[in-house]
Amino acid sequence: MKLKSVTKLPSILSAVEACPLTDPTGTELTGCYISDLLSDVLANAQPGVLWVTIHTHRNILSVASMKDIAAILFTCGRKPEAAIVAEAVEKGILLLSTPLSTYETAGKLWKAGLR
Amino acid sequence: MQHAGNAKRVKSMRARLADAVRRPAITPKKTLKTGNFEELTAHAPAVEKALNAGEKRQVSFAQVLVFELRVRNAMTSPPITATPADTLRSIQHLMKAHRISGVPILANGVLVGIVSIEDIITALDGGYINDPVEKWMSRKIVTLRDHFSLVRAVAEFDRHGYGRFPVLDANNRLVGIITPGDITVCLMHHLERRAEEAIVKEAALVAARTTDEKAQRIVINADVKSGDFESAGKLSQRMREVLRARGVAPDVRRRAAIIAYEAETNIIIHSLGGRITASINSKQVRIKAVDSGPGIENIDLAMREGWSTAGPLARELGFGAGMGLPNIKRCADKFSIQSELGSGTQLQATVFLRKAGVTL
Repeated sequence: MKLKSVTKLPSILSAVEACPLTDPTGTELTGCYISDLLSDVLANAQPGVLWVTIHTHRNILSVASMKDIAAILFTCGRKPEAAIVAEAVEKGILLLSTPLSTYETAGKLWKAGLR
Repeated sequence: MQHAGNAKRVKSMRARLADAVRRPAITPKKTLKTGNFEELTAHAPAVEKALNAGEKRQVSFAQVLVFELRVRNAMTSPPITATPADTLRSIQHLMKAHRISGVPILANGVLVGIVSIEDIITALDGGYINDPVEKWMSRKIVTLRDHFSLVRAVAEFDRHGYGRFPVLDANNRLVGIITPGDITVCLMHHLERRAEEAIVKEAALVAARTTDEKAQRIVINADVKSGDFESAGKLSQRMREVLRARGVAPDVRRRAAIIAYEAETNIIIHSLGGRITASINSKQVRIKAVDSGPGIENIDLAMREGWSTAGPLARELGFGAGMGLPNIKRCADKFSIQSELGSGTQLQATVFLRKAGVTL
């Protein structure tokens, strides 16, 4: 898999006021994908991206690990159950949460240089 | 040098090996006329070819061996020697003591003659057994070099009719003595070793192939319950682990996983329950999803992207995008779906495997 560019996490985290739910150390992002339809993510997300969604159900982890998604950012202040956080740690997927809406999040991520 | 104790065994071996040595794929006479060792080895591929043809394997091994093995591999070394001043009687005792049939004679380390058992018999007959060796020894000596191939040695025995040859190294130093019996014993020894190696190797191959085939074929099954969103993705994950362990390329793994996941969630969302099976072998993974109804009313519509009949709960969870079946079809190398209202749906999708780093 050819990666065009890799974006470091810290600047992005502060841009969207995100709080990490798992250890963010070492995570690098290749881009971003925003969708609340799992099949759409399965079909269109690239490996290594940050996935922005409102879903916190277990299924997001299945989808993310299938597509080698690096991190999931929950918008509107949503946070998954502890069991799902634990499973994400196990699967090596970074979980983040932001109080911003998906629209605001998208704008700020773009501005912060995550393309 | 032929030992009397071996003589009988050697003889029967000789009978068995005679054909093998004398009827090689390359006729030794033809090459030996030149007496050129280099030319002998240059013909070795012909032997390989004969070997590969798989005809008379055992014999072919012997053929290869007589070219591979050198005189130094078969000769008796160091040789029992005597000096020109020794008596023929002492040679007779040497022969008896060591069970040998010929003794090279060295003067100051240089080979000057040879006394054979035939010479001793003649001496006994002629009453001069107590004479010194130098009076009666054969001075016309034919020697072999230790680097000669055995096929050449065999030809030299045929040509000269002697029962033994002293063997010299590159510095003309006497290093051994060789008889036809030595050659036979040497060949038998190597044949035996090769045969044992071949048996061990074959057994290992068979064992490896059996375990390989067993390991290559894996079938993963899972019953899928209607509405069980919690369990979605379990079979898909297990399948992905198997494929990763086998070094299947990531994008191929991903396609197979998406198919399994979409098929699984289809059963959860739309059906009364069903079963999903992933059959993996070395070439492909075949995913089969069978449910017990209610069946798809219009498959053409179901295959259309964005069209969904998913209920509110499924949509709440991010399903029902109307992309499941199109996703499966896009990810599959082979895809088929049959459905009948009232009886259920059977979906089958195949992904051809290739290893990571290997492009087709």
